[in-house]
Amino acid sequence: MYRYDEFDLGFVSGRVDQFRDQVRRRIAGELTEEQFRPLRLMNGLYLQLHAYMLRVCVPYGTMNAPQLRKLAHIARKYDRGYGHFTTRQNIQFNWPRLQDVPDILEELSEVEMHAIQTSGNCIRNVTTDQFAGAAADEIIDPRPVAEIIRQWSSLHPEFTFLPRKFKIAITGAPEDRAAVRFHDIGLMAQEDEAGEVGWSVYVGGGMGRTPMIGQRIRNFVPHEDLLAYLESVLRVYNRYGRRDNKYKARIKILVHEEGLATIREQVDSEFEKVRGGILTLPEEELSRIRAYFAPPQFVLSDDRFNLADLKRNDAGFARFVEYNSHPHRQAGYTSLTISLKPIGGVPGDATAEQMEVVADLAERFSFNELRVSHEQNLVLPHVAIRDVRAVYDVLKEYALAEANVGLITDMITCPGLDYCALANARSIPIAQDLARRFGTPERQAEIGPLKINISGCINACGHHHVGHIGVLGVEKKGTELYQLTLGGDASESAAIGDILGPGIVAEAVPDAVERLVQTYLGLRETKDETFIAAVKRVGAVPFREAYLAT
Amino acid sequence: MRHSPITTKRTDPLRAMGIIALNGMFGEDDTDGVIRKAVEMFGRDLAVVSSFGADSVVLLHQVAAVDPGLPVFFLDTGKHFSETLQYVTDLKARLGLTDVRTLVPDSKDLERFDPEGRLWENDPDSCCHIRKTEPLNAALEGFSAWITGRKRFQTAERGILPHFELTGDERVKINPLAYWGEDDVAAHKKAHDLPEHPLFADGYTSIGCAPCTSAVQDGEDARAGRWRGLNKAECGIHFDFNGEIAPAEVKNGPVLFKKGRFVADPFKPLAENANLKGVRYVHVPLSKVKDNLAAIRQNPHPLGLLIESSDRVEDVAGELDRFSSVAISFPAFGDGRGYSTARLLRERYGYRGEIRAVGDVLTDQIGFMVRCGFDAFVVANDATKRALEAGELAEVSVYMQPVGLTEVPVGTRPFLRKPGKPVTRRP
Repeated sequence: MYRYDEFDLGFVSGRVDQFRDQVRRRIAGELTEEQFRPLRLMNGLYLQLHAYMLRVCVPYGTMNAPQLRKLAHIARKYDRGYGHFTTRQNIQFNWPRLQDVPDILEELSEVEMHAIQTSGNCIRNVTTDQFAGAAADEIIDPRPVAEIIRQWSSLHPEFTFLPRKFKIAITGAPEDRAAVRFHDIGLMAQEDEAGEVGWSVYVGGGMGRTPMIGQRIRNFVPHEDLLAYLESVLRVYNRYGRRDNKYKARIKILVHEEGLATIREQVDSEFEKVRGGILTLPEEELSRIRAYFAPPQFVLSDDRFNLADLKRNDAGFARFVEYNSHPHRQAGYTSLTISLKPIGGVPGDATAEQMEVVADLAERFSFNELRVSHEQNLVLPHVAIRDVRAVYDVLKEYALAEANVGLITDMITCPGLDYCALANARSIPIAQDLARRFGTPERQAEIGPLKINISGCINACGHHHVGHIGVLGVEKKGTELYQLTLGGDASESAAIGDILGPGIVAEAVPDAVERLVQTYLGLRETKDETFIAAVKRVGAVPFREAYLAT
Repeated sequence: MRHSPITTKRTDPLRAMGIIALNGMFGEDDTDGVIRKAVEMFGRDLAVVSSFGADSVVLLHQVAAVDPGLPVFFLDTGKHFSETLQYVTDLKARLGLTDVRTLVPDSKDLERFDPEGRLWENDPDSCCHIRKTEPLNAALEGFSAWITGRKRFQTAERGILPHFELTGDERVKINPLAYWGEDDVAAHKKAHDLPEHPLFADGYTSIGCAPCTSAVQDGEDARAGRWRGLNKAECGIHFDFNGEIAPAEVKNGPVLFKKGRFVADPFKPLAENANLKGVRYVHVPLSKVKDNLAAIRQNPHPLGLLIESSDRVEDVAGELDRFSSVAISFPAFGDGRGYSTARLLRERYGYRGEIRAVGDVLTDQIGFMVRCGFDAFVVANDATKRALEAGELAEVSVYMQPVGLTEVPVGTRPFLRKPGKPVTRRP
């Protein structure tokens, strides 16, 4: 993975010093909260319901063992012994004290980590496929380009005070595991007629209170022009994005109001002027960065899982292999997802001890590499198939072996009203109730792939719009209610879920989901037709009827 | 002919070379020669400005020897010591000056800005402005050159003063006494038996208005008694927008930060119904420029352009050369449109004049602004003023991306990244 050179080190330690001074000024009263707010936000520091929350950046979701160990240390020393992995592939600490934050940042900088631009109206952490550089279906490893975008966007002087936050997602595989069409800019690897790999650019996607699917603004941008093209989009957005209403300030609204054709014209006109200039990416630079992401020294092997055999002899391990492993480009290897969705647990949370265990496993079995997925799980990207059993045994010991990846209990869940100042309703208890309802291995296996995403308010941090079943917490006359949506899809066949009907109380949610699941089980053509496939085939009507039939 | 805007680099090179040549023609002590040359070159286009202060008699004596009919302007601010007013009458008679003109402040200005006559107490800069700068600007309108009594030794800021000086508004300022020392002044007074200002004996070595003048102690700078305690050294009439000779150091009041220090701001707000053909040193809003192109093109004076955050710089791209300063407005800390505007000005339109940030300007933005092309900042926030003064900009000095013209020698450095200058860097 990428290693800091002297520039990055200087950059990050400069930033720590800068923020230490800003915190000092805040504590000394030289800065009002209003003035401090944008500064702390640019360093990932939020004020939540009960305390500050520090969001630490995991660039494109890639980490090594010492970094995860440092996060464990921070959780133990400065927080309450745990951290929360997020849909942005980052980690959040929920209880830091303001005066400790400069020290936390300094400790992070020791392992080449920081909290820069994890918040505020700037270009946020670039996110990508958690199996980048490992997946069998990949056209190109997106991480070198993600790293180059990270560098270009770090404290960009022109784009630090945008109308609103700006998220870029990039994927190198045809199966979109990074939800690129739900980002302000989405990049999908694409081959042109000559077989050159470049980027197809989507713009204006997003969730929140006005969910939109990103539209393709340009079919193909070669690597060398990518930064110039991104800068063109950002400049158009910075100048013309709405600033009069924060709820209409994202680029999706600009694209929606002006029309894709107009925005494309403005971006193209800007691109014509900046392309070929200082942002042209030289091939040597791309190669230099690529070298950091060279594949590890795989051991040649033709090991493969014998699932049928495993199922007969070791059902628990078989389930783990079936659901938590992902096909690897290298024969004899697999990518293992470590589910942070234990039945009845808090989705995305990991204790300091669990982080240390995973760090050890990464070191021993995954070439020191780790990933965070936007589904709030951890990934060991390169595990030899012959080592999977050993990994599983350790995970099991630490309650990390839940075999539910992609299943109904693998829910994306925002922190909700338990932590968040913006939330209207709690999310975590809903996830816990649903997990208990559907959590037996047999039940989950019978239902098959089904994504339930839960948000505690319309800001949609829990991605409810793209859940096959989405749960949205709302507040009506002092009561927390939940609206259910159906048919959302974050993948390459992107779709936004439709609201099924009036909101219901928390206690009614498991039954309502149960009725939707029963409807699916009743109408699927074969066991292989997934929930979302069935919904797309038959439409919402039978589900809506089931939802309303209390 | 369209008048050129005024900046150092835009000064007519031939004219500038002429000035250099002129300065080479006279010995340091050839005061008489300098005055004669000025009269020969400018004739009735030449005026003298005198404070009738402690040393003024020397210049007036020399001038009278060459041409006692030269117009001599005296700024009667209404705040002078009575001794000074008496001294004016006395010197006129003694030296035979036939055209001493007294300039008084605009009564409307006084009524509006200083109805109680106490403006000097809290805003000496504005006081100087309405009582000195404005009346003098108006009086000098018809002249191409003026003679002053400024001397190098008087303050550190005047240390490089030449005989002939091309000022920002394209007038020539003539400083015949530039090289005179304190002893020369005393000796000249004695040799010609010239009358002293009545207050000189009491320790007043530089005399301006009564409220803002105090006596100086031995060893102090001769002008140390002016605006004592205010960190203000010049009243504004000697301010040159080029900033080359004597930008006044100001820390109270005007808050323009440029080239590493606070300087007096020659620009003033644009009056609502001002005639755009005649205004000077104001930033004209972009929309007004668009609507009044003819007037702006006819205006011969230094002008600035004000770009609001919703304005498009493209709309006046063809007019940019005409402005010596562009003010980009930041209506709120978080409104970042101005950064794009500045980059377009510098990088796309090659604008080389001053770009100043106005509005909500805080220390935490300044590093970003400098990178986008800003070189001047109008600062209101006290903490930011202190940080700028101390050279403590809150910025990260390692840059992860190329921006701007100077940071980017294409092909001569590793792509994308370049270490910034040390953290002590100032805009």
